Amino acid sequence: MKALTAFWMRLLAFTLFVLIAGTLLIEKQSPPKTGIGADGLQSAGTLSPVYASPTQVKLVDVIPASLSGETNQDSEPFLAVQTANPQVMVASAFTPNPVSSSSNAPVYVSQDGGNSWVLNAITPVPRMTCDITHAMPTGENHPRGDLHAGTLACAASITLDESESNDVSSSAVMNVQSTRSNVDQPFVRALAISKSDHIYIGVNDFNQPNGHTATVDVSVDGGVTYKSFSIEARKTAGQDGPSVRPAVAPDNTVYAAFFGWRKFNGTTATSDVVVVRDDAGGTGPNPFQALRDPSDKLPGRIVVKGTSIPWSNAPTLGQERIGSTLSIAVDPNNSSTVYVGWADHGRKSDIYTLHVRRSTDRGLTWSKADLPQTTISNATNIALAVANNGVVGFLYQQLSAGRWVTHVAQSHDGFASVQNLILANVPADTPRQQFLPYLGDYDYLLSVGNEFRGVFCANNSPDRANFPQGVTYQRAVDFSAKTLTDGSGNPVTVSIDPFYFSVPVIP
Amino acid sequence: MNSSLSFLAGILSTALLAPSVAGFQLGQNNPAALAKQSSIIFSGTVSELGAVSFVDVPQSPQTIVVRVDSVLKKPPAVSLKKGDKVTVEVKDPSAFQPGAQATFYTEGWIFGSGVAVKELGHEFNPGGAAPAEGVRTGEAALGQMQKQISDQDLQNRIASSDLVVIGRITDVHRWTIPKSAAARYHISEHSADWHEAVLQIKSILKGTKPKGNKMAVRFPLSTDVAWVNSPKFQKQQQGIFFLKKDQVSGDPKASLGGYQVDAYTCLKPDDWLPLSDEARVRSLLKN
Repeated sequence: MKALTAFWMRLLAFTLFVLIAGTLLIEKQSPPKTGIGADGLQSAGTLSPVYASPTQVKLVDVIPASLSGETNQDSEPFLAVQTANPQVMVASAFTPNPVSSSSNAPVYVSQDGGNSWVLNAITPVPRMTCDITHAMPTGENHPRGDLHAGTLACAASITLDESESNDVSSSAVMNVQSTRSNVDQPFVRALAISKSDHIYIGVNDFNQPNGHTATVDVSVDGGVTYKSFSIEARKTAGQDGPSVRPAVAPDNTVYAAFFGWRKFNGTTATSDVVVVRDDAGGTGPNPFQALRDPSDKLPGRIVVKGTSIPWSNAPTLGQERIGSTLSIAVDPNNSSTVYVGWADHGRKSDIYTLHVRRSTDRGLTWSKADLPQTTISNATNIALAVANNGVVGFLYQQLSAGRWVTHVAQSHDGFASVQNLILANVPADTPRQQFLPYLGDYDYLLSVGNEFRGVFCANNSPDRANFPQGVTYQRAVDFSAKTLTDGSGNPVTVSIDPFYFSVPVIP
Repeated sequence: MNSSLSFLAGILSTALLAPSVAGFQLGQNNPAALAKQSSIIFSGTVSELGAVSFVDVPQSPQTIVVRVDSVLKKPPAVSLKKGDKVTVEVKDPSAFQPGAQATFYTEGWIFGSGVAVKELGHEFNPGGAAPAEGVRTGEAALGQMQKQISDQDLQNRIASSDLVVIGRITDVHRWTIPKSAAARYHISEHSADWHEAVLQIKSILKGTKPKGNKMAVRFPLSTDVAWVNSPKFQKQQQGIFFLKKDQVSGDPKASLGGYQVDAYTCLKPDDWLPLSDEARVRSLLKN
């Protein structure tokens, strides 16, 4: 009897072992639910920073299923990834409140690593923002919060709000911490340092005296207080260019790049590309003066002097306007290495040409010419980021043969060798523009662990041939008929949508 | 007129014309105001209490799940149909039991794989049946409600305008800010590209008639996201103009016929109406 009992106990234990092992094996080998590849990201609601490496590209149309009928031009995207829990992200675009012109402008929120997104109307701006960027450094340790945003309201007097949310999944409207008018293009970067959110917002501040408008708003207390610092030291054409871009390293090094406009004739800005640096997080009495140019000893290293930048607030590059695309990125583990990219007139036959240069000595000297394979004709919306292993990512959108082609390139050797992926290749002539910008005056790329994550905007036609790395739509689509539907089977016209992507960092 | 619209019209006509008869339980809100305030109105059956219909909605004792029986009002962008489950954040959860049928007046809240809304008011459907039909034909009642809402918006626009003018545009030209005010003018992607229209006045519906028979009206021609919805005027264009004194362009004065005059702006999408609306505007001005 004892022997029989022992036999059955052993059999039961073995069966349990087989069942558990089999379940684990099946889970590991299951095809991804999204259809574009599993990345091992944790399910929504978990708050650990630990996550597995992505194995392939993820590309998701951010428009939720319940807004399948929308036809807005949801252009000019941006992305914030929560530092403590990269499953939580906030994306934005020129998306109006879907139900009311008097209610708050929304953002897109994901809590599952970008697989799904919801629209939540929490910005302090009515209906729709006219510029919005943001970051989620989580120095204050809110599980779904510490979102810091810079927004412009679409009103007769365009006003900047610098605001925060402690829970992006709630319906609470963001708390405005600072506000002022007469500024342009807020660009938010932030980092949690010593349990405090350090926030750096590049703005073109027309309130600054003497036309020294390139400005960085600095807060080292989570946005409770801000100080504004002009980072322009030279004579301008009455103002600087719209783009002012900070980049922050964990060692408290802060760079900022801007276009120092020296002449402007209405169609061309003769501009310096200038980089400033601060080694103490912008907290000293005279911050952003660590770099001086050898030519005039003034603060701000001139990377390129007197370049011609076409300015056209009308459809010029396809249906897109041009005039101010700029990006800067610092190596998070080696703040001596910094990249800057911009667009100017470039070659004679080009409309708009991208360039990328690098410094490996904290901005003192820069590559004399563009890095290899980074001079890109007829392209815009440059966004740079550097991963933990030093690989630089380079997002851009190029007008090629009547199509907008969105690339993300990576290199571990200063672009001597490059992995270049095409994320989207879509018609440039449809849909017709509803307003400018058509795709955006910027898009965005950042590094998260061993991923590059980013957002861009594109024609949303559900044609798999347009997305060589694969794509997932949340909104209702009929891939076989290549049409959008409203969720009830009725066709919906093609429009511009924001797309989220994740790309594995190359070794 | 489809059945949903008839259904809505019936409810709204009841709300507008005979609220006491229908026994609406909509709190202290004026039914017409509530209908206007609501971005999404639907009739549904309560299926769960203290629950949510999709994962991204914060669950609380105030959230209930309602299965949609019919959609009465929604924006075109929103995908919502019979049979869908909606999360409703209600004001008083104790008022609802599973199986209860009601019409929900709501505002949009979270849009994801499903729809979540916040209750502004509700009406239980008598005997669990469809809502009571209105006392007038539904279409007429709905038309009246829409007109009432539209008239209220128009009255607000009139009230906020310095001048309401019937007139004709005789000239349009790009307006460049004078050097004396140029320090306040900056270049950005959001620049308005100000243009100035010369408006020949036919009659003044509100405000004091300016000297002379013409006035300067500034408007942004830019198609930037900030300005794309502002009226864009053309020569010979006629209509009703809702004007404010210029506090936006950088210079409140204009030069017209050799004289310095007040400049006005026309910025919001409905700050211009066609002449066919003249009688309605005049009627509202009398109220």
